Amino acid sequence: MARLSGGKVRRRLLSMGMIGPAIAIVLLAVAGMTGRASAGADDEKCLACHGSAGMEKQLANGEMLSLHISGDTFAKSVHGMLGCAGCHSDIDLAKHPSANNAITSKRAFSIARAQVCGGCHSDKFDQWKQSVHAALVREGNPLAPICTSCHSPHAVMKGAAATMDTVPCKACHGDIFTAYAGSVHGVLRNAGITRAPLCFSCHGAHDVKVPSAGAGMKNVCFGCHTDAIAKHEKWLPNTELHFDVVACQACHAPKAHRTVELVLYDNTAHKNASRPIGVPEFESPTGSNGSERPGLNPATLFTLLRTLNRPGVENKTSIKGRLDVSTGAEAHALAPGSEAISDCSTCHRKGAQAFQSVTISVAGPSGIPIHYGVNKNVLSSAFSIGSIGGFYAIGGTRITFLDVLLVLALLGGFGGPALHLAVRWAYRRYLNRTHHDERKG
Amino acid sequence: MHRIYINPLPVRIWHWINAVSCVMLALSGIQIRYVGLIDVVPFRIAVAVHNWIGFVVVANFFLWLLFYLFSDRIRVYHPELNPIKLFRECLRQAVYYGYGIFKGAANPFRLSKYRKFNPLQSLTYQIVMLVLLPIQCATGILLWDLTRFSRVVEFLGGVRVVDTVHVVIFIVFVFYIPFHAYLASLGRTPMEHYKSMFTGYEEVDDEEDAGPVI
Repeated sequence: MARLSGGKVRRRLLSMGMIGPAIAIVLLAVAGMTGRASAGADDEKCLACHGSAGMEKQLANGEMLSLHISGDTFAKSVHGMLGCAGCHSDIDLAKHPSANNAITSKRAFSIARAQVCGGCHSDKFDQWKQSVHAALVREGNPLAPICTSCHSPHAVMKGAAATMDTVPCKACHGDIFTAYAGSVHGVLRNAGITRAPLCFSCHGAHDVKVPSAGAGMKNVCFGCHTDAIAKHEKWLPNTELHFDVVACQACHAPKAHRTVELVLYDNTAHKNASRPIGVPEFESPTGSNGSERPGLNPATLFTLLRTLNRPGVENKTSIKGRLDVSTGAEAHALAPGSEAISDCSTCHRKGAQAFQSVTISVAGPSGIPIHYGVNKNVLSSAFSIGSIGGFYAIGGTRITFLDVLLVLALLGGFGGPALHLAVRWAYRRYLNRTHHDERKG
Repeated sequence: MHRIYINPLPVRIWHWINAVSCVMLALSGIQIRYVGLIDVVPFRIAVAVHNWIGFVVVANFFLWLLFYLFSDRIRVYHPELNPIKLFRECLRQAVYYGYGIFKGAANPFRLSKYRKFNPLQSLTYQIVMLVLLPIQCATGILLWDLTRFSRVVEFLGGVRVVDTVHVVIFIVFVFYIPFHAYLASLGRTPMEHYKSMFTGYEEVDDEEDAGPVI
């Protein structure tokens, strides 16, 4: 967590009409400089009650909110220098504790208190507001993290969230963290190599984006692996195209199940299109594994694209495609480079595992993609020549109808001359025999 | 009987380079498209071979084009603009191949220096050389570096559209090449036209070279 300079703290506190607490902070800071980590006089008043173990309050919804603060822990925390009033300036001691129970729930209280964090950490708070976490909070997701979900406000220590043991992400993303811990990144980080990434190195600490929202994550990989393009160009044809349509982890997590993520794209707005209305296949989303049910079939998808690109709005909507892995956990099970998939035939063959699962996503509320199931046959159907023009893997998604045409061409190309030759031979024998009979007769 | 110089050296060079290259492109293309079903050469090598030979064919096409553009031999590719006449001549040639040849009838086509293709051949070669091969070369170049040509590919409807066009023309060639090789054996002797594509000369009856017999 970023630490504010003394001047910045002073300006902020003055602007909040908190001259008294500010003086207390200065005093505490001086105390801190002399090596004493203890609560100030005003804080002692707070801790007289809140220092009691087991102190709690029943909220309107019946939840019990712990009101106990460990004075020593708080004093040692980065917030200790601010004192209680630094964040709780809204408390009027004359009316405290209030008889009214204004707090409806722990969640509501945490969300409301996040504004206080934003008072000092405005840069981080603004980043968070742009994140997928904030979008989920706005959607009313009860598990979406807010400030206090990751940072214990009364015990936050500098750098506490930056180690494998303490990184808060794993509290919710446990399966992903386990996969990460066993990956080449996690093993190196655990071995003390701090250049190896931890969660926030790739996803950002506060401006966390939806990883599946596009090919943006590859640039994160390139942030460290600066020679990745040059290395791949030595052996990988159409390198840049592969980088555009194949997620890094699709090859670098060799044991993962791969899946094709189609995206309904609005070419006018240059973003994911919203959910088409009145299409039954877009009524209920699927899980990350598109094979759970048949979903959109090639003809439906073809008709959908024709409808969306009807006269007057031609070429408005298209389908982009990308090869990724099925789950977030698999995306983090990255192997050393030597174990990455480099055999082209893994994907460039009919029936390749990579093309057995297909989903299509549209932009959901707050920009979070919503995935729907798609029948895997869309990848090899002649209907898809126009509808999924932008995604094609030689061999792997080849069009079955063209295979039939090729067989017919081979039969006709070689069979036609062979038949002609046979008829010529038979006719010549017939003519020779007739001629012979005539001469004999 | 006398000999006429029917296939100049540039045409012969172009033809055999094209013949060998097209067969190799077809084989490497089949290997690329049917990995798993056919595993003679690794995918990556097949792609490299296909790309390099593809460029040879493109360069060779321009050799052919430049020769004919700067030679009076271009007359062999002049199209018949009268559709009724074209249809009648094609029909007569088709009847010969489909019936007359069995009875031992004479080929209605008369070879000459500036008329070396029969009407069906002429029509076919015009389509192959002026439509199909240029499109095949163009789509091949686009597929060779999709990122470099991404705007063109997108304008055409995407990589799947470009690849489908490339494969459909390949399928047409797969149908055409065996016919081409077989029809070339239907001269006075089975090897006559083949030899001509090596020596440049072909033997014709004295009255044949007098001009076309319509």
